[in-house]
Amino acid sequence: MSHFLDRLRFFEKVKETFSNGHGVVTNEDRKWEDAYRHRWQHDKIVRSTHGVNCTGGCSWKIFVKNGLVAFEMQQTDYPRTREDLPNHEPRGCQRGASFSWYLYSPHRIKHPLIRGRLLDLYRAERKSGKDPVEAWAAIQADPNKRKQYVHVRGLGGFVRTQCDEVNEIIAAANIYTIKKWGPDRIFGFSPIPAMSQISYASGARYLSLIGAACGSFYDWYCDLPAASPQTWGEQTDVPESADWYNSTYIIVTGSSLPTTRTPDCHFAVEARYNGTKVIAMSPDYGEHVKLADLWMPVNPGTDSAAFLAMGHVALKEFYVDKQDPYFQEYARKYTDLPIQVMLRKHGDGYVSDRCLRASDFTGNLGETNNPQWKTIVYDEKTKSFVAPNGSIGFRWGEEGKWNLLPKNAANQQEILAELTCIAGKDAVVSVGFPHFTQGEDDLVFRNVPVRKLKLANGEEALVASVFDLQVAQYGIDRGLGGPNVAKDYNDANVAYTPAWASKVTGIKAMDLERTGREFADNASKTHGKSMVIMGAAINHWYHNDMTYRGVMNLLHICGCVGQSGGGWAHYVGQEKLRPQAGWAPIAFALDWQRPPRQMNSTSYWYFHTDQWRYETIKGDDILSPAGKGKNKGYSLADYNVAAVRMGWLPGFPQWNTNPLDLADEAIKAGATDEASIAKHVTGKLKSGELDISFADPDAEGNWPRNIFVWRGNLIGTSGKGQQYFLKHLLGTQNNVLQEGGDGNNNQLIKWRDEGPAGKLDLFVDINFRLNSTGAYSDIVLPTATWYEKNDLNTTDMHPFIHPLSEAVSPGWDSKSDWQIFRELARVFSGLAEKHLGKRKDIVAFPMQHDSPFELAQPFGQVTDWHKEGIEPVPGKTMALLKLVERDYGSTYNKYIALGPLMVKIGNNVKGLDWNTTAEYEELKLCNYTVRVPGVSYGMPSLEEDISVCDAVMRMAPETCGPVAHKSWTALSKKTGIDHHHLYAAREEDKITFRDIQVQPRKIITAPTWSGIESEHVSYTSGYTNIHEHIPFRTLTGRAHFYQDHEWFQDFGETFCVFRPPQDLKSFDKVPAHILKKPHLKLRFLTPHGKWGIHSSYQDTLRMLTLFRGGPHIWISEIDAQQVGIKDNDWVELINSNGTSMCRAVVSQRIARGVSVMHHSQEKNVNVPGSVTTNKRGGTHNALTRVIIKPTNMVGGYVQLAYSFNYMGTVGCNRDTEIILHKVEDQDIKWLEAPLTPEREAQRNPAGIGTR
Amino acid sequence: MKESVFTLHNLIFGVYPYICLAVFFIGSWLRFDREQYTWKTDSTQLLSKDNMRLASNLFHIGVLLIFCGHFVGLLTPHFIFAAIMPDITHQYLAITAGTIFGITAFLGGVILWFRRFFNPRISLTSRWSDKFVLTWLMITLIFGLLTIPTSIGHAGHGDPRVVTSLAEWIQSIVYLYPNPAFIEGVDLIFKLHLFFGMTVFLIFPFTRLVHIWSAPFTYLTRSYQLVRTKRVKYQEVDRYDLGKSPEQ
Repeated sequence: MSHFLDRLRFFEKVKETFSNGHGVVTNEDRKWEDAYRHRWQHDKIVRSTHGVNCTGGCSWKIFVKNGLVAFEMQQTDYPRTREDLPNHEPRGCQRGASFSWYLYSPHRIKHPLIRGRLLDLYRAERKSGKDPVEAWAAIQADPNKRKQYVHVRGLGGFVRTQCDEVNEIIAAANIYTIKKWGPDRIFGFSPIPAMSQISYASGARYLSLIGAACGSFYDWYCDLPAASPQTWGEQTDVPESADWYNSTYIIVTGSSLPTTRTPDCHFAVEARYNGTKVIAMSPDYGEHVKLADLWMPVNPGTDSAAFLAMGHVALKEFYVDKQDPYFQEYARKYTDLPIQVMLRKHGDGYVSDRCLRASDFTGNLGETNNPQWKTIVYDEKTKSFVAPNGSIGFRWGEEGKWNLLPKNAANQQEILAELTCIAGKDAVVSVGFPHFTQGEDDLVFRNVPVRKLKLANGEEALVASVFDLQVAQYGIDRGLGGPNVAKDYNDANVAYTPAWASKVTGIKAMDLERTGREFADNASKTHGKSMVIMGAAINHWYHNDMTYRGVMNLLHICGCVGQSGGGWAHYVGQEKLRPQAGWAPIAFALDWQRPPRQMNSTSYWYFHTDQWRYETIKGDDILSPAGKGKNKGYSLADYNVAAVRMGWLPGFPQWNTNPLDLADEAIKAGATDEASIAKHVTGKLKSGELDISFADPDAEGNWPRNIFVWRGNLIGTSGKGQQYFLKHLLGTQNNVLQEGGDGNNNQLIKWRDEGPAGKLDLFVDINFRLNSTGAYSDIVLPTATWYEKNDLNTTDMHPFIHPLSEAVSPGWDSKSDWQIFRELARVFSGLAEKHLGKRKDIVAFPMQHDSPFELAQPFGQVTDWHKEGIEPVPGKTMALLKLVERDYGSTYNKYIALGPLMVKIGNNVKGLDWNTTAEYEELKLCNYTVRVPGVSYGMPSLEEDISVCDAVMRMAPETCGPVAHKSWTALSKKTGIDHHHLYAAREEDKITFRDIQVQPRKIITAPTWSGIESEHVSYTSGYTNIHEHIPFRTLTGRAHFYQDHEWFQDFGETFCVFRPPQDLKSFDKVPAHILKKPHLKLRFLTPHGKWGIHSSYQDTLRMLTLFRGGPHIWISEIDAQQVGIKDNDWVELINSNGTSMCRAVVSQRIARGVSVMHHSQEKNVNVPGSVTTNKRGGTHNALTRVIIKPTNMVGGYVQLAYSFNYMGTVGCNRDTEIILHKVEDQDIKWLEAPLTPEREAQRNPAGIGTR
Repeated sequence: MKESVFTLHNLIFGVYPYICLAVFFIGSWLRFDREQYTWKTDSTQLLSKDNMRLASNLFHIGVLLIFCGHFVGLLTPHFIFAAIMPDITHQYLAITAGTIFGITAFLGGVILWFRRFFNPRISLTSRWSDKFVLTWLMITLIFGLLTIPTSIGHAGHGDPRVVTSLAEWIQSIVYLYPNPAFIEGVDLIFKLHLFFGMTVFLIFPFTRLVHIWSAPFTYLTRSYQLVRTKRVKYQEVDRYDLGKSPEQ
């Protein structure tokens, strides 16, 4: 029908009226409504998800119409979990539902982009007849040419070009770097594999093949709770969200469930219907507080004091005043509370020292294997000291006794491990406990009951159980006399009573006391169903391990860990990479060569962005008098240098020379094999001819040269100390308000007066949107979005594995990450054939956790070969030195095939080895074989991403029943316990990519994890440790209250102590005129915002429209009033580290003295110039500078030994404080003027030099 | 020899008006039926509202009143005017109203034109046709304003013939009895104005001008609530007896 003719019936349109003519019924054309119907019509539905770090892992329907993504909607077809649990679905939040915007948005990266000046330089060199590598070398050789593109990073200037050309440039840069400086000068950063596992694997595989280093993310994000490896020898394992429903008492702290756990939050609500009591601890009235029965407003950064006070109550009432039978049994079997600790004389009293070992006894208590690694308890039955099963000494070198059965290892007789010797004590002595509260003693002496004992060396030793020490450390009065114990809970002078904690935390003492009592009482009655849900807000502090250990102490006191409905529930930026065992060999090219280069990123950035040059905290500031003080005078950076030298932590570049050249040199000098090459290297290290790069990080030869970032946002979300990245690493416009100098007091590091600017030759970003990282890159490659590629996704929060699928083909010039790196490898191989050929590489590999090398350094005693002038021994006093042959011309052939080592050596995870030959042969049929001539001809193909997905799943115990069988068999042998019943029903299951495209699949129980998939309990961490008696992977095999390593003694952290937020002294450099005008000094909290897809992706039109449309900071109403700030006023945030511009949100929700700036508000939308520096304002990260903590660096010692993303320095940022002041609207400058030579030259704020 | 009727003058003022009107009506109809999503004002006020309150109102009020003036002044049959006022009064009226509203529209139009061409957000988001049509309207308007001195000159000599001959010509077009001879002798400036004015009708269906057809006058009188029927045959629906059961 014609719209026009329809209009001609104008006068008969109205059919009748109603409501006295206020309404009319019309009869008119309604065809226009079809537009709305067409909006929701579609051609097909494809299952995919969002590769975002929210841990949601929600399966989505992607609706495709005319070859375009029309919209997305939650999938509702998860397999059921259990009859007595609420459903998982619908999973997926409103923010995720907005993702399809990005596919066709203005800042989608459509074509390869390159810095125009760089392209001009490169083309000119190529035109003059040079080949790509020569052309790149020519640009790098000329400082003037290099300067042209390096110093304008972040200032626009991109031009569009072809994939072939940028691949050639990147490959040339890599080859030049490998040849000139060494492959370890190339670095890759990509976060959290679990969210898109194949994408992560792509870059990591390419980089590992060429010998580059991959950087960690979990510790760098400060999401890694260092306390978890310290306590359990486990990176992180947590309950699935459904297990909240099984809990009957929940404390939520530092985690806003509705905001960041949106698809799971319903379990918390349903638990409340179940009668569960919920307590919320948070400084602001956060969204999760509405779910709580009690809100405990806590001063930011003081959470450990609150938990220590609750522990004080639980310990006193359930262990001292009465002995709860459930708690007693749990403590004896699964915690280190009965473990015996030696005391060391300190002044008039004692301090606690290392744990007693079998080797301290005459005849080693009958232990011949690793007696130095077998800890001791006192057996109440035989009234003697015994070495019980399960300590780390039983894990390596023997089989069958590494379990938590309460048995004397020597004769396998049942024992009853004694918690306290108070009834049978030989003496009571005064023991000093480190303490860090301002205005109180730094060593607090309390009386402890001890036993006396004659050691094998003839000395008499005093020993006390961890329990007796721990009770004293909590300040509980046991009638032993002596000072510093509390008469009652109201004693505010004794740490850690509720009254004392109330002073520190601001929480009412009564609330702490009641919550502590209820938490324990509930756990006692339910056998551990008390839970603490915790998150980033308490983990992002410098002393986060203390906070977390405070929580863990309470949980272990109450027997909650490993019980369904109980334990810790830490959900911070980590998603469970369930098929890890099948994935790791592909991701790090372990199928071709081992070991890979893996780096703890925090230390990497601390050194290479020169944040160490600005360090205001001295090592001695945070030492305790209880330690031996071997390293007094060290700076924080010195500690890191020592840790790398001793093989505790990795450090890349490895040395101040090219490892390829070093290998050549060793061979020339007569070395023939790995051992003799290592000898050549240690000789040079000892003579000082060779040194680690961290000892002189600013020397030109020690700079990182090429960096790849994919799936991440290093300069935006992830760039702590962002402005230092800009100043030193990238060498461009920055807001750093100071010159490096505070960090100029090191014993092990060479100081250079000029801080380098522009260390990187090439910065490559692979992304689908132009965020801050892209803006500062030299080359940006367009990648497929989450609806345009095939990949795998798993999470902690539910037990399913499900895919990302290619709903539409990648838009414009984009390709999946797997294809991008495959094509790069192809171009690289072609050029490398000529320029590199086959080379030998020496990889320095730290002593790894879950390997026999975790027994490298007995008793936790520090042996620093460099300092003490003794012989460095790889694998003992320094990193292992492994020889790796790199056939650079075959990089592509290797990339596209599953390599031969999977058959030759097999696969392994967490110290368990098994054979993968059967799976390898199956994959030849499943994926077909490589037909490209070369080293990989006839091997299982990894050319396409679906093949990679299937290879990962076929090799992982979680997705392949036969592999589960093999891995559990390996573990059963170690523990001497038959674990096969855990997966028996699924031994034949093999999950494939096509299966999970049909429906998410529940994974199979695997020894990789400490929980189980079962019809009877929900997944929870530590379950198999408690119920299957598999030891925690710690020194004692038990959960640790006590850390006996020397550095923990030095820093006073053998037991959990309260350590207040660290003063970073970051106001020194703020200009006087700002300090003169009205301003606020505020704590700077950076939690996740509501209007963004988790930690990123707030720059969609929809998200921006929902709240303020640009960066903002929340401040308290009263604070705002006092300095004349009204809601939505512009404000500048400033401290020594940089400046940031945003609008103020004035709210009653926020406590005074606190500000909340939501994480990762991108730099590309509505960010004006800073009024102080006249440079573009930064993000929330512009105000931060990371500080590293020496106790996180400890290695070579069981649970403290290094492993990638498991242990290492964490990039804390919450201790930051800011000054906030109002900016008038007319002073806002958008800096949209052209780039003049003057502006280009003025990279630092006025008055700040390069130094 | 009789002069040929195939002159440029006759083509422009005898044939061209019908081409313009045909394109105007048929084009508008087709566009309304086929391209509903393009039937809109294409307002750019969201992108930049600087001076828009002033410029848009001046321009629209001026143009609308000029249009009314042309419509009434030129299409009203001469005998009606003759009954009300002498021709010379008609001319003075036309001069006065044209001057006032012409200048109103001109001032608004100039601001809009500069905004269209020199405000980067507007200029970059404009179609070619947006710039063209505004420029064309402004030229037409300027020609219209330039006729005023001439008209004043005529009126000063008490000569109202130009107005009456223009009206007669237009009416001859409307009566489908075109007679370009009526305006054979008028000044060039009038002819230019006429040509540009007619062309506005020609380009009308291809530009944002179509929004003129859809001036939302019904908003002034419509009811608060509109209920649209499903367009099943209206009489067959017993709207008030929903409770009736099938047995009854």
